[in-house]
Amino acid sequence: MTKEPSDTAPRGPFPPEEAMLAEPVPPELDAARTARLRAAWKAPTGWRYWSAVNNTEVGKWYSLTALFFMLCAGVMALIIRLQLAVPENELVSSDRFSQLFTLHGSAMMFLFAVPMFEAISILILPGMLGARDMPFPRLSAFGYWCFLIGGVFVIGSILFDAAPTSGWFMYPPLATQAEGPGSDIWLLGLSFIEVASIAAAVELIVGTLKCRPPGMRVNLMPLYAWYVMVVGGMILFAFPPLIAGDFLFELERSFDWPFFDPTRGGDPMLWQHLFWIFGHPEVYIIFLPSIAIAAMIIPTAARRPIVGYSWIVLSAVGTGFLSFGLWVHHMFTTGLPNISLGFFSAASEAVVIPTGVQLFAFLATLMAGRVKMSLPMLWIAGALAIFTTGGLTGLMLAIAPFDFQVHDTYFVVAHLHYTLFGGMIFPVMAGVYYFYPFIAKKLLSERLGRWAFWLIFTGFNVTFLPMHLTGLLGMPRRVYTYPTGLGWDGLNLVSSLAAFVIAAGFAVFVWDLVRPKGGQPLAPRNPWDAGTLEWTHDVPEETWGVRSIPHVTSRYPLWDDPALLARIDAGRYYLPDAETGRRETLITSVIDAEPMQIQRVTGPSWIPHVAAGFTGGAFIFPTFHLYWPAILCGICAVSAILWWLWRDTARPPAPEDEMRDAGLGLRLPTYAAGPSSAGWWAMWITMFGDATAFSSVIFGFFFYWTAQPDFPPPGAAHADGTGTALAALAFAAAWGLARAAQRLNRGGRREPARLALGAGAVAAAAGIGGLLLAVAPLSPSSHVYPAILCAIAVWIIAHAGLGIVMLLYCLAGSLAGKLTPRHDADLQNVMLFWHFLAASALVACAVLGLAPGLMTGGAP
Amino acid sequence: MSEEHAPRPEEDRREFAEETESLWRVTFAPALWALHFLACYGLVSLACARGLFPIGATRAGLVGLTLLVLAGIAWLGWRGFRQWDVHSTGRRANPGGHAEDRHQFLGHAAFLLAIISFIGVIFVSLPLIMLEGCR
Repeated sequence: MTKEPSDTAPRGPFPPEEAMLAEPVPPELDAARTARLRAAWKAPTGWRYWSAVNNTEVGKWYSLTALFFMLCAGVMALIIRLQLAVPENELVSSDRFSQLFTLHGSAMMFLFAVPMFEAISILILPGMLGARDMPFPRLSAFGYWCFLIGGVFVIGSILFDAAPTSGWFMYPPLATQAEGPGSDIWLLGLSFIEVASIAAAVELIVGTLKCRPPGMRVNLMPLYAWYVMVVGGMILFAFPPLIAGDFLFELERSFDWPFFDPTRGGDPMLWQHLFWIFGHPEVYIIFLPSIAIAAMIIPTAARRPIVGYSWIVLSAVGTGFLSFGLWVHHMFTTGLPNISLGFFSAASEAVVIPTGVQLFAFLATLMAGRVKMSLPMLWIAGALAIFTTGGLTGLMLAIAPFDFQVHDTYFVVAHLHYTLFGGMIFPVMAGVYYFYPFIAKKLLSERLGRWAFWLIFTGFNVTFLPMHLTGLLGMPRRVYTYPTGLGWDGLNLVSSLAAFVIAAGFAVFVWDLVRPKGGQPLAPRNPWDAGTLEWTHDVPEETWGVRSIPHVTSRYPLWDDPALLARIDAGRYYLPDAETGRRETLITSVIDAEPMQIQRVTGPSWIPHVAAGFTGGAFIFPTFHLYWPAILCGICAVSAILWWLWRDTARPPAPEDEMRDAGLGLRLPTYAAGPSSAGWWAMWITMFGDATAFSSVIFGFFFYWTAQPDFPPPGAAHADGTGTALAALAFAAAWGLARAAQRLNRGGRREPARLALGAGAVAAAAGIGGLLLAVAPLSPSSHVYPAILCAIAVWIIAHAGLGIVMLLYCLAGSLAGKLTPRHDADLQNVMLFWHFLAASALVACAVLGLAPGLMTGGAP
Repeated sequence: MSEEHAPRPEEDRREFAEETESLWRVTFAPALWALHFLACYGLVSLACARGLFPIGATRAGLVGLTLLVLAGIAWLGWRGFRQWDVHSTGRRANPGGHAEDRHQFLGHAAFLLAIISFIGVIFVSLPLIMLEGCR
């Protein structure tokens, strides 16, 4: 680790002393600072409003879009219920019905539940952390526009009678052989959105780690932030296997590489594994952030600190881990050995313990406090009741023999809706009522809110409780109609009628949300008497996030420090000014939140729209087998992103700007590279996700070997040994050269560093050549063995291409003066990418070159 | 353990150096659970689907592994409990803003995660004892 030059080390007192905080700010100075800050953070107006990147704006669009998709999926559910209301109904055709249930499930999961978590977090997390914004506002905006384009594309397909029909988990061979573009729309549209989800997860994790207010050590973080971190981590482990699965699936759909086709050595079970390694953690990815909202509302309602803070942290982390050991409980009827089923059954029962701990901690808080049954608390109470019921049927389903009985029946439908309504819809509704004054500075109607609650609560139970029975009586899921006389008629009619009661409840809620509130008075600043930092927000709204970033010493600063609010408003704390007229926020250390850096934050721009549009093209054109436009879009997207990075990120500050006053006598650097910087953490986290996806592809290789007696098949062509060896050597050399470039640049030897960067790019290109040579003898559509080898090679080639672009970007930066010996954030981040790339390339070469020999017992 | 101090360069690196051990303790117990789980699932699959080794020996070996893993988790939990230091301080929750509170909180979290991982490992190893063969 290199030493920072001492003239850019943070200087000044920390923590601030009471006398410094008590010192008043002269009124005219304060007025000037306030004006500068307001100007810096002003949201664009007119049509330029849509170029805003503030977390408050992007968060609002994000959550309203997710709500819109949710309502669309809700309408689909109503049509499903209408069709099933009476036996032998002919309202919709079988094919249309398949489109409806597939899109209902897919949209609720991918276009509502996960994006809603991200939307709400983008909206409220900076407030809770006393940060001005997320660390990478344009990344949030990029994620949002990707989500919008992808979501409209996927959900709009039903209007053209082209929606996917194979169910939300897209099992092959049904889905691989489905006609029309439906399956491709699902695969590519949702992959596109998953990329946006991962971007948001990276941003949220980095925000929690590096943008906390000074003094907020890990043991003081709001519980919501703990949950965000756990869920962000889970997204990074759960989504990549699905992306890897999508990658294989789309290669089969487009190029006939037989990954899931048993006639050519493929195996549909691999998709089931990859899908559910994603799919089960997904349930907890949805559940945990919603229950995190409960963890914020309950202490407020009980008017006391949460009971068992550490216990809740434990259960969030514990649930996160255990939820990865449950995936096969979706596959109990696939014929795996009983003993294997036993492991998953046991883990499914064990996950109840941490989940239960959270609920009991909430109940203990309520019992120990003086509960005020506010509207948000009412929704939380409903959530706890419904979720517990869903959890109990979950325990039943986790017992394999019971699952054999009710697998694929309406019992499962009832169970999953109980967990999702109780674990997601109700807590999120509570959150909307609770945080609405924070977001819109107005209160929602108490009366309409209670109407909505009772309509949805009653409607929900009357719809879904009978479904347990319908399922036990044997009604399978996903049938578009059923004959009369099986005892299902009355139950279905009741479910269908009550579904409209839920819809009425949502109509009341949506009306309350969107009705004009111009005549209504502004909400009080802290309407629920909460103790956490988001309630220091400004009424009427200010776009700067927080007037000055406070020093925090407890979990509920508003309760524990009576002077805090006045001091924030008086600009008494950190960053009370925007002297340069630019947007800035404070970067603090990961564990103890010590101030480390003043980070420049990007402002409004159209570049996220351009990048998102082209990225959309790159994913959407292949749906219709238009590969050249897709490649063109891909190139444009990469160029747009490079332009965005080049112009606005990690630019060295002017020499007099290297150190700046952060307030309270503290002087902080304005540039950071390596582990001190937010960008380095983002790269590290992204690469973690990327490595998970790559591991999933490699897992595929070994899965085929485990599951099949003749893999690799006798007499099969293997990867070319010379090419593989060349690739391994070239990638190792490229890594070494990148490393040398970083060292040389740090040491001030810029010319040799540039040479090394250029040579590194050439070596990486040689690596790509080696891999192409290695797979040249293979014909991937003939059998799954050459197909998986080619898929691994494609993966590495694509990443190496990116690696080359990154090295050249650093070379250009060095030549243009963007990258200097002291300002080498770009190069350090690129180095991180290359660590992961070199490791994956070597693993890939080992699998290509060595594994077949070991497996067949001779040299390939 | 450091108390309040003036700002310094490379704060992150120093903090991680200071708490390396407790951060390992926090992540290690659930990680042991995960590795144990993967070992059970993976080796049984290799024994049953691929026939690489006899299932009886696999089960016996895995039971042995379970005992080792349980011992490891118990040790981590004990270290976490010591770090939490509830006996000498009497503080069960650590809501304070000092380095000491953070240190004890991490100990408490490690201790609780060790408990849940311990239970998880026991649950997952029950099928090894109760179910026979590859049916």
